[in-house]
Amino acid sequence: MSQNLPREPGDLEIARDATYHRAPESLRASVAMLVGAAAREESRPRMRRAIGLAAAFAAVAFVTWNVAILQSAPPRDDMFAHEVLAAHVRSLMSPGRLMDVESTDQHTVKPWFAGKLDFTPPVRDLAPDGFPLAGGRLDYVDGRSVAELTYRRRLHAVSLFIWPESKDGDAAVKQRTLNGYSLATWRRKGMRYWAVTDADPTELTHFAELLEAG
Amino acid sequence: MGRHSEFVRNVMPHLDAAYNLARWLTRNDDDAEDVVQEAFVRAYRFFDSLKEADARPWLLAIVRNTGYTWLRKNRPSDVVALDDASTIAEDTPTAGHSSPSDSNPEVVLLQSATRKLVNQALEDLPVGFREVLVMRELEDLSYKEIASVAGIPIGTVMSRLSRGRELLRQALDLRLKRAS
Repeated sequence: MSQNLPREPGDLEIARDATYHRAPESLRASVAMLVGAAAREESRPRMRRAIGLAAAFAAVAFVTWNVAILQSAPPRDDMFAHEVLAAHVRSLMSPGRLMDVESTDQHTVKPWFAGKLDFTPPVRDLAPDGFPLAGGRLDYVDGRSVAELTYRRRLHAVSLFIWPESKDGDAAVKQRTLNGYSLATWRRKGMRYWAVTDADPTELTHFAELLEAG
Repeated sequence: MGRHSEFVRNVMPHLDAAYNLARWLTRNDDDAEDVVQEAFVRAYRFFDSLKEADARPWLLAIVRNTGYTWLRKNRPSDVVALDDASTIAEDTPTAGHSSPSDSNPEVVLLQSATRKLVNQALEDLPVGFREVLVMRELEDLSYKEIASVAGIPIGTVMSRLSRGRELLRQALDLRLKRAS
């Protein structure tokens, strides 16, 4: 048995004695899924862009028309609230486009954003707390690409938008209602968060607290 | 879907190689999976840049880049620059370590124990040595391929391989001494 020991310098055979780590089956599946999603995304850009744009315009018009009267928050926050709400409505209005990457696995959703964004959004599954992660997509807010994560709350969807915000310190959760939707926003570790849902405002408070505490 | 099926045919078969390298870079199963997933999404986006018939070195270069980005962000102390010029000079006088004083045949270790020792010693090597050893010994890449994956001259590949093997032997010697 001693012949297996790399006792002498000439005896060491890394190829024999070190482990070749083979990819687990679950990784094979998730990589195939991610590559498939990237391929689908690329194979129908023109049509999707057209539909996406039309839906976006419709949604933005719909939202601004409905909420134009509400002017309680500072103008910039207000603008974000409108944009974020429009994006949330947009995702609900385009069936099948709710998510670009459909997965309940944060380890699948997170890398999907890689290369698409110039930042890495923190992705957490909140299934144990009753908000299972459903997927992710890209959207545009304030002229930049942002990450949008979709969570489920029973029959409702919660959209969580994330983008970097270069201001010092964290900002506590501020919550408001627009046109029957609940919105919450906060800043944590250099990221701005906006959460939107048609679920009950107390549900959204709970959701925001979970993420803010994490 | 032509591009997609071509990618599936040419790149997907190298998933094991990608995972093996990512696993040896990050030294952790979960992190390796994250790196591989990210690398494959990137690889798909940059698929047009693949010119060679064999996609493996091309894919491994993307895995390595993704892995290094991950390390810099999550374990910056892992990424140390190697002073290649001085490692060659220090390479030669190793007489003290090859002494057979500890070659006690009564120490019996099972092959799994050997594997564990070698794995640990290899994981403990600085990443610059570890990666060339993994690519050469486990992945069987040529010097030229390793040079292109790691973005270093072939001479540096060779000196890192020899220095890396030497460091590994020393580390194993030390571990065996402790074990016996």
